[in-house]
Amino acid sequence: MAISKHRKPAPGKTVSSGRRVTLNPKVARRSFLKLSAATAALSGAAMTTKLTGKAVAAEATPAYKDSETVRTICTYCAVGCGIEAEVQNGVWVRQEVAADHPVSRGAHCCKGAGAIDMVISEKRLKNPMKRVNGKWTNLTWDQAIDEITAKLTEIRDNNGPDALHFNGSAKVSTEMAYLQRKFAAFWGSNNIDHQARI
Amino acid sequence: MTNSLNDIRHAKSMIFIGSNATEAHPVSMQHILHAKEVNNAPLIVVDPRFTKLAAKATEYVRIRPGTDCAFMMGLINEIIANGWEDKEFIRTRVAGYEEMVEVAKHYTPEVVENITGIPAKQTRRVADILAKSRPTSLTWCMGGTQHHIGSSITRSFCILQLVLGNMGKSGGGTNIFRGHDNVQGATDMCVLADNLPGYYGLAEGSWKHWCRVWDVDYDSIASRFASKEWMESKGFSLARWYEGVLGEEKIESPSPIKAMIQWGCGSNSNSQYNRVVKALNMLDLLVVIDPFPTIVAAVTKTDNIYLLPSASQYETSGSVTSTSRQIQWRFKVVDPVYDSKDDYEIMSLLVSKLGFADEFYKNIKEVPEDITREINKGTLTIGYNGQTPERIKAHMENWHTFDIDDLQAKGGPCDGDYYGMPWPCWTTEHPGTPILYDISKPVAKGGLPFRNRFGDVTTYVMTGREEGQLAAKGVCNPGSEVQGGYSEFKEVVPGTNWKTDLSQETIKNAINRGMAPFGNARARCVVWNFPDQVPIHREPLHSPRPDLVEKYPTYEDKANHFRVETRYKSEQNPDLVKQYPYVLTTGRQVEHMGGGAETRSSKYLSELQPEMYVEINPRLANDLGIRKGDMVIVESPEGAKITVKAFITPRVDEKTIFLPFHFAGTLMGESYLKDYPEGHAPYVLGDPGNTVTNYGYDIITQIQATKDGLCKVTRA
Repeated sequence: MAISKHRKPAPGKTVSSGRRVTLNPKVARRSFLKLSAATAALSGAAMTTKLTGKAVAAEATPAYKDSETVRTICTYCAVGCGIEAEVQNGVWVRQEVAADHPVSRGAHCCKGAGAIDMVISEKRLKNPMKRVNGKWTNLTWDQAIDEITAKLTEIRDNNGPDALHFNGSAKVSTEMAYLQRKFAAFWGSNNIDHQARI
Repeated sequence: MTNSLNDIRHAKSMIFIGSNATEAHPVSMQHILHAKEVNNAPLIVVDPRFTKLAAKATEYVRIRPGTDCAFMMGLINEIIANGWEDKEFIRTRVAGYEEMVEVAKHYTPEVVENITGIPAKQTRRVADILAKSRPTSLTWCMGGTQHHIGSSITRSFCILQLVLGNMGKSGGGTNIFRGHDNVQGATDMCVLADNLPGYYGLAEGSWKHWCRVWDVDYDSIASRFASKEWMESKGFSLARWYEGVLGEEKIESPSPIKAMIQWGCGSNSNSQYNRVVKALNMLDLLVVIDPFPTIVAAVTKTDNIYLLPSASQYETSGSVTSTSRQIQWRFKVVDPVYDSKDDYEIMSLLVSKLGFADEFYKNIKEVPEDITREINKGTLTIGYNGQTPERIKAHMENWHTFDIDDLQAKGGPCDGDYYGMPWPCWTTEHPGTPILYDISKPVAKGGLPFRNRFGDVTTYVMTGREEGQLAAKGVCNPGSEVQGGYSEFKEVVPGTNWKTDLSQETIKNAINRGMAPFGNARARCVVWNFPDQVPIHREPLHSPRPDLVEKYPTYEDKANHFRVETRYKSEQNPDLVKQYPYVLTTGRQVEHMGGGAETRSSKYLSELQPEMYVEINPRLANDLGIRKGDMVIVESPEGAKITVKAFITPRVDEKTIFLPFHFAGTLMGESYLKDYPEGHAPYVLGDPGNTVTNYGYDIITQIQATKDGLCKVTRA
């Protein structure tokens, strides 16, 4: 695993997120985001390590207690920027740009700078749901899977495998994309496609 | 991309056509600007709109939407007319050149000016810049592809690079910037209606190959299909699946579509979006699997819809392939939040309940690593076999050891590897291929010739000329046993070829002999299986130039195009422009992504870019009596309408209207807020731009033509 116990940054080492981001991650990230987005929007380019380095080198702060750093990859565009995620007790508490990632080299756009928001957004779906008499209703996973597979089987029995269309994804891992295509093969239809078509 | 984002640092000039990297791929800009500032490389930006990338250009070329092919053929013609073509490269590594030259002759700078609106002297100047500043890195995105002639346009880009001799060279190449984070990986795994993983196609041999990889009986898989014929026929595509529900067009399929699984895919990226909405409401079963409800949840009013909360990609793990073909491991940051489950678990629940888990997971115990290994075993065509999970993870752990200029590890545990082992990575010792078709390096060290895929000799229908398709004598990678062109490898292991030999002995045999498993051939300028064997201009399906429709008409109508009859000639009406006088084009914003389900659910990004708008040129706005901030109605020839706020800007010319396509959630003053599950609607709603993008699909790929439609604009 690319997880390392967090070490205190060496003096003078460029660290991209500063004190702003420590006391209240929500507020701090907001200001960081505004800076990064404004920079990207005004200059037409993403922030550079040089710029962020200057801004925060003097403010480098220690890690959260007993936190770990996980190297991962941004989920927005295909540039493939590195992200260093700081995790404390299973909670993603702070993200840093990956200053030595060979492609992104410490840069982020306004979307990538808020990668953490994908996990903490209150807009995320929280449990399986279906519409009943026009109203959204919660389901357990067991109920949802039982009902969906029963209906799929019924449709297949009545209309054949080509009655299903499967839109897969350019946002899942390569392994999952592969399973999506394999699923269609085992289901028995070539009615499968994803965003690359458009 | 044939090269990589980092390799653009070595370009001596750059041309971006239909790409707005500054907004769509912002972090790539550091490499682009490095070439511009350090190499003093001219940056040519060809776009109908003065984009943020155009603001960085040394040469901005304003082009009429949908005329890219004419401009490219014009550049090719001008380069050849001046004797600037790379004669040695063409002699040794290019096929069908003479046939192509004959076609290109038509496109003089003056003809190009009439079609594209680009002044003849500017075409001459750009050709001069490209000839004097080699190599050129050429980039396109959806601005180049989303046309009914998209496949001809993209081929014309490639031919320009062949003529200039810019292929297989550092700083050169055709560098398509892919959109979503893993659109390259998902494409390589062929989540596609016309292919099996690794672009194996749908023929019987391809199915048998994958059945061997899966270790399942071919007959048992075949028995799952409606028939062998349907097993080997293309399915419905994402661009037009809804026609299978609506039944308004002529369909060739064993069944109409009754059910849909929409897994990690917004819907408002589809053109004619109101027809998509109609189809969603006619389904007997609709399953949305996504971290967010997406607009599908709000526009589908029936009780037949289920929402399954999948975890985000930070709550699971697996590999992703970047636009540079680099494979990176996305380590899991935290466990799935709330009661969401990761994609693998949801798939496992579905497959188990449907009763085929034992066969489906036969080789897969450790998830996702065993899936990576199964991909390694079967995806030989594009060399996904050397990137084991262990190697990919080692690259992540040691990413600081890779050089930013050539992406090679200098020392450390990955010494000699190229970052992310860009495919093809032929063996577990192979370093990856950083630049495709580069014959300056041995194949074992990341070099490659052009692939031999279309036979050894061809007679062109256009001229009756016969030509060998293999590379010329003496042209090969260093250390090649055969000094010159050679065919693809087969019968090393009897009954197999390099693509189907699961022992991978064939691949190893080729590499050990200094040769490429797929042969050493020429790149084709003539594609004899396409309707336009050499790319030519055809007027957009909905053209603003009736005078040109007659001279450059579209194709004949096409039956059974991904199961749907598709109109070309019967759709192209030269008089349409009288009622719909403005060209409609679309694009991206840096703050949002795709349909915007994720980014419009981020309060910060929503605050930065909170509102849907339409860009209108000041002159046109004044003529129409539209002032900044007025609400205007944009209407498509199909009769669809949206109401959006006017943004008056000279970024677009007076004949062109621009819409960002990331919005959804309202339509013509009606809000869908109440239709989302309570508390899960995005922060920002807006009329979907794709409601008014027009009918029109590429003749080969069926990509939708969203960049060159027509529309009408009035004050609301």
